[in-house]
Amino acid sequence: MWDTARMDVKRVVDVIRVDPADCKGGTPVEKAPDPELGTDVIPAERYYSESFMKLEWERVWTKVWLLGGRADDIPNPGDYICTDIGKESVLIVRQHDGSIRCFPNVCLHRGNRLRPEGLGNAEQFRCMYHHWTYGLDGKIERLPDLCTFPQGGPPGMTLPSLPCTEWNSFVWYSLNPEVEPFDDYIAPLKEHLEPYHPERMAWKRDVTMEWDCNWKASVDAFNETYHVQGIHPQLLWYLDDVNVQIDCYERHNRYLVPFATISPRVAMPSQIPPAIDEIMRNAGMDPAEYEGRVSDIRRDVQLFKRKHGAAQGKDYSALNDDQLTDDYHYMIFPNVALNVHADDILMFRQRPHATDPNKMLYDVWVFELVPQGEEWPERPRHRRFKHGDRSIGQVLDQDAYNLPTVQLGMKSDSFPGLWIGEQELRIRHFHKVLDDYIYGPGGKGPDDI
Amino acid sequence: MDLGLQGKKAIVVGGARGIGYAVAEVLAREGCDVALSARGEDSVKDAVASLSRYGTKVVGKPVNVKRAEEYKAWLEWAIEELDGVDVLIPLSSAGGGIGSEKYWYNAFETDVMGPVRAVEAVIPKMTEQQRGAIVLVASTAALEAMGGPQAYNAMKTSLITYGKQLALAHGKDGIRVNVVSPGPVEFEGGNWDMIKGTMEKFYQSQLRQQPAGRLGRPEEIAKAIAFLASDAASWCNGSHLVVDGAFTNRTHF
Repeated sequence: MWDTARMDVKRVVDVIRVDPADCKGGTPVEKAPDPELGTDVIPAERYYSESFMKLEWERVWTKVWLLGGRADDIPNPGDYICTDIGKESVLIVRQHDGSIRCFPNVCLHRGNRLRPEGLGNAEQFRCMYHHWTYGLDGKIERLPDLCTFPQGGPPGMTLPSLPCTEWNSFVWYSLNPEVEPFDDYIAPLKEHLEPYHPERMAWKRDVTMEWDCNWKASVDAFNETYHVQGIHPQLLWYLDDVNVQIDCYERHNRYLVPFATISPRVAMPSQIPPAIDEIMRNAGMDPAEYEGRVSDIRRDVQLFKRKHGAAQGKDYSALNDDQLTDDYHYMIFPNVALNVHADDILMFRQRPHATDPNKMLYDVWVFELVPQGEEWPERPRHRRFKHGDRSIGQVLDQDAYNLPTVQLGMKSDSFPGLWIGEQELRIRHFHKVLDDYIYGPGGKGPDDI
Repeated sequence: MDLGLQGKKAIVVGGARGIGYAVAEVLAREGCDVALSARGEDSVKDAVASLSRYGTKVVGKPVNVKRAEEYKAWLEWAIEELDGVDVLIPLSSAGGGIGSEKYWYNAFETDVMGPVRAVEAVIPKMTEQQRGAIVLVASTAALEAMGGPQAYNAMKTSLITYGKQLALAHGKDGIRVNVVSPGPVEFEGGNWDMIKGTMEKFYQSQLRQQPAGRLGRPEEIAKAIAFLASDAASWCNGSHLVVDGAFTNRTHF
């Protein structure tokens, strides 16, 4: 842990944190030992090289578990999620027996995509081109004029099956038929994330932005709080970007950021900042009634939510006090970032472009806790925009604004690579995990990018 | 020009930070003994320690002006500690807020009753001495649009009226009462510091309304207050001085 007193701060803050001993059975809060990852430059070339992009496709995207979508979008038989990853597209389909299956979204006849990306319901998947028709289980149910194919139908008369599973309200799939069991892959995050009960949260936003940067530039952007003082100055009156606990696990990582508090980088105000005022109102408190100091608000919001949550139809019993205010921010390798909170989840799925390493797809998914007894809200429609075409909120706009120039600068002959500090340990960890997938464990050589 | 503040005894309510601290500092530097308050014990301690370098008597104790009994006891304590009172500057404020009725009670208790209770506590002593100067601190938010309709603006407005009437009532006893209305003032940890960080566009729009292209500094308000509190302003009574770098548009006839 860095020495906060020597950083560019105005105050040294001793953050009240829950005692790990009090959190048994809930989300673990122990600080994981920091991995020794050295101080090397992370080569810039991996952000724009087409050959590295190809390696990523062969050794990462087609090998790992990937986030497909939200399980409650496909409750009934025939409901499906069609989602793209790189040059591939898959169908995740609810079966008659309630299970899910995953198939490549491609007609075995001439290669046409069976469905456009998005959600739907089908009794069968019929290709528009020649009406080859597949059942929910992927089997070819009708192949017009089968007698005119002397070689017969494609092997087994079925679409290949891809591994898929449901966990914690989300569906996951893999392009790799030999992928390890999901439980092994996701470890140790099951016990971390299940206490948030995402199944009690409803869709609030579903947006995809086409960003003009490599997908890893986006992953990096959310993996450190060092940038808050740079591009999100307003958040200094909302969170503590300095006293952040970083935990790196086998391939995933997280950090814990105190919210509803004032950054040590600015002087303590006497008035309640607007964003913290909003946190208090959302918790059911009246900021005008608040007699404490601004520095006491985080703890008082925790105590208030603990006391009044149940009466508001919000069951916080599985969460510790810090989780009632703070941002527990997880990164699920390779491409999912989740800001999990007691009342909402703000998550990003960061997907590579099919052909261009300078572009990516940035999915913003927001879910909000629906208090018990309240009506489940209507699902918002998915929207898709190009970089900068629409605002996605002040904070994410600030993140987005920066990334194209990061991508451009990466290519400078004067920029060998990322010069990473301790506050950015998660970036280093992410790239180390990536290295091990690309070059084999510990296999990255000095000349490898 | 000699302000004639040397040896005077001054009470500054809300004197640990911002304009209040700057007032306490100017007064101490000019040779006043100072008693100051704030809500937090630490901030009082820091302010007292820092102001003691001017060599006058500086005392402080935390108090919440919304708690009437506690506050009245504080005022008695301050007069006793200073062994009299020549100058009173009550600056405590609950600040702004829209959306809850409670903001009206907060502003009333802090921005109005804070000064009212302080005035009532010092008037007997000043009358007895036949000498005293009180400066109330209102705001340009009393004069022109600022931040939407809210208690802060309305309650600050009442101080302008109250100050004039105090002047009329107590001038015969050698007590002068004046009002200063500062425009936006920026200092570290102050509201405009936070607004600069959290609502940058709004902050910039306010800067554009400032002919000098900047907000005020606490000491620029404090010096105007100190002048009105000093014998140099012996013929200023019942006046209202706007100190805003020409931020307000109206002409103050």
